[in-house]
Amino acid sequence: MKAEARVKLSEWLVTLPSFVWLLVLFLVPTVLVFAITFKPATPYGGIGEGWTLDTLRTLGNPNYPAIVWRTVWLSIAATALCILLATPMGYYMARVSPSRRRLVLLLVILPFWTSFLVRIFAWKVLLHPEGMLKHALVSLGLISPETSLLYNAYAVLLVMVYTELPFAILPIYAASEKFDFRLIEAAKDLGASSFRAFRSVFLPGIRVGLLTAFLMVFIPSLGSYVIPDIVGGPTSEMIGNKIAQRTFVDRNLPHAAGLSALLTVAVLVPMVAITALRRKENPRSALIEEGV
Amino acid sequence: MTTKKILRAAFLAAMMAVLCGCAEKKPVLHIYTWSDYIKPELVQQFEQENQCKVVVDTYASNEEMYAKLKAGATGYDLLFPSSYMAKIMNDQGMLQKLDLGLIPNRRNIDPAYMKLAFDKEMDHSVPYTVTITCLGYLGSKVPDFKPTWGMLDREDLKGRMTMLNDHREVIGVALKYLGYSLNTIDDKELAEARDVVLRWKKNLAKFENEQYKTGLASGEFLLTHGYSGDLMLVQSENEDIQIAVPEEGSQINFDDMVIPVGAPQPELAHKMINFILAPQSAAELTEFIYFLCPNLPSYELLSEEIRQDPILFPPAEIVAKLETLADLGENNVKYTKIWDEIKGGE
Repeated sequence: MKAEARVKLSEWLVTLPSFVWLLVLFLVPTVLVFAITFKPATPYGGIGEGWTLDTLRTLGNPNYPAIVWRTVWLSIAATALCILLATPMGYYMARVSPSRRRLVLLLVILPFWTSFLVRIFAWKVLLHPEGMLKHALVSLGLISPETSLLYNAYAVLLVMVYTELPFAILPIYAASEKFDFRLIEAAKDLGASSFRAFRSVFLPGIRVGLLTAFLMVFIPSLGSYVIPDIVGGPTSEMIGNKIAQRTFVDRNLPHAAGLSALLTVAVLVPMVAITALRRKENPRSALIEEGV
Repeated sequence: MTTKKILRAAFLAAMMAVLCGCAEKKPVLHIYTWSDYIKPELVQQFEQENQCKVVVDTYASNEEMYAKLKAGATGYDLLFPSSYMAKIMNDQGMLQKLDLGLIPNRRNIDPAYMKLAFDKEMDHSVPYTVTITCLGYLGSKVPDFKPTWGMLDREDLKGRMTMLNDHREVIGVALKYLGYSLNTIDDKELAEARDVVLRWKKNLAKFENEQYKTGLASGEFLLTHGYSGDLMLVQSENEDIQIAVPEEGSQINFDDMVIPVGAPQPELAHKMINFILAPQSAAELTEFIYFLCPNLPSYELLSEEIRQDPILFPPAEIVAKLETLADLGENNVKYTKIWDEIKGGE
């Protein structure tokens, strides 16, 4: 009993720093954002006295559904593409020789050595209307000279997939590495085709990695701001851009806070749903435990 | 970049303070302005004439400067906000009433421009420079350019044009194009302007405040809506860039000189304003920063090249059609609403 109490105490002590970290840097700001939503805005960009529900009413802005829809479909498409590309990659990395694996792993994380912003600007150069890629595609007859590779929703999607791909590869690779590939051999021995074995044995086997990859890509995608701002056009605005506009241009902090709160809720819903789903399947496993 | 600049300025200021500590105590004038917005030689001249030190600190946007002062920054003697920001600050009692007796050179201000300013009595602000919102374009790639906002309807430039990402500037252009005031609060006129912008939007690559400069220089964009000072600056990178003030008229923006409440050296700040308004200083500034200092006697001191520049010195009939963006207070919501409709529309 005494030993158990000591274990409990040390568990608490170990958790304390990360708990304080989350409390100060995550919970307190989030609560503030929710609180500011219920404050009135002043014409000079400040936060007024008292409490009001005005902001909630203005969130019913008729122009928002289109922006919310665009944010959601771009995020879903980016997530789906990332997982589609990352799964074979993870499989390959788990199967390849250790020296080759180290090299590939290095290549996957190499982009992080350069600033995120610089890499987005590199895409602008790559897709430049007078650039090499454009000229190549035009001379191959694949696109007309008037087609713009930049400043549309597809450019945003492309750069989102590019930026977030490593976040999908890493958890899928981690899960694949732990996967027992003898199971695939067993499935084949039992008469399954390679594809059937991949689908029915490998994919369920790395489920946790897939779920983590989903969260790691989908959540940051919902909050995208810089990518649509730089490579997006006049009709590729996402929620993040709207929040920035409300903060800097319209100087309406409560409205910006309301949109941020909405986004937080939208992020929490898939998180909670997945946690609940996994609890139901396996009541004792936590979200991250078996993952990365 | 900006933070780095501020840090560097702060470091230099600290160094100066240490160095000056040994010598006699000279008064120090603290200026807070845009980067590259004052000629260093003029600052030195002022320092010598007035036996003082001048410390120049810089900001990149009105909002940045405003936020810093709101957060409690003190010690600045002279600021250079745009007129709309000067009004917001004055409305909140952040600015000192100017002592015009200390600024005899105020009479040099060009009356043609003074007519357009908000603070016509120079109660709390004096114009420093003027900028006009213009069209910049690549001469070799835009055939049959005409100086009209109607260029934004040109289908052959589709996907290669930008407008500023600013609701007042963009809606203001459409209002001017339709022949209305860019400060209108008439719902019918605003609705018409919205429809014009929605039509233009189909031809735009994007709404852009910063990247349009390099975009135009690199040939990414062929026609951009932007500020004359910025466009003239990128003209030095690509000689093909042409600038025009559309014949329907445009927006003119003043950057003002103001003294904040609580400035440690208000008298020296007044002296600096008066010094800048001297014809010789104003001419040197116009040549150095490529923004027009609207100072009548300074014009004849300018080089012939600058005198002939149709952007710095637009013809009188165009000047007559320029308007300043007024702060609309409560009615600003009308523009925000229309801007949402424009941004949300297909």
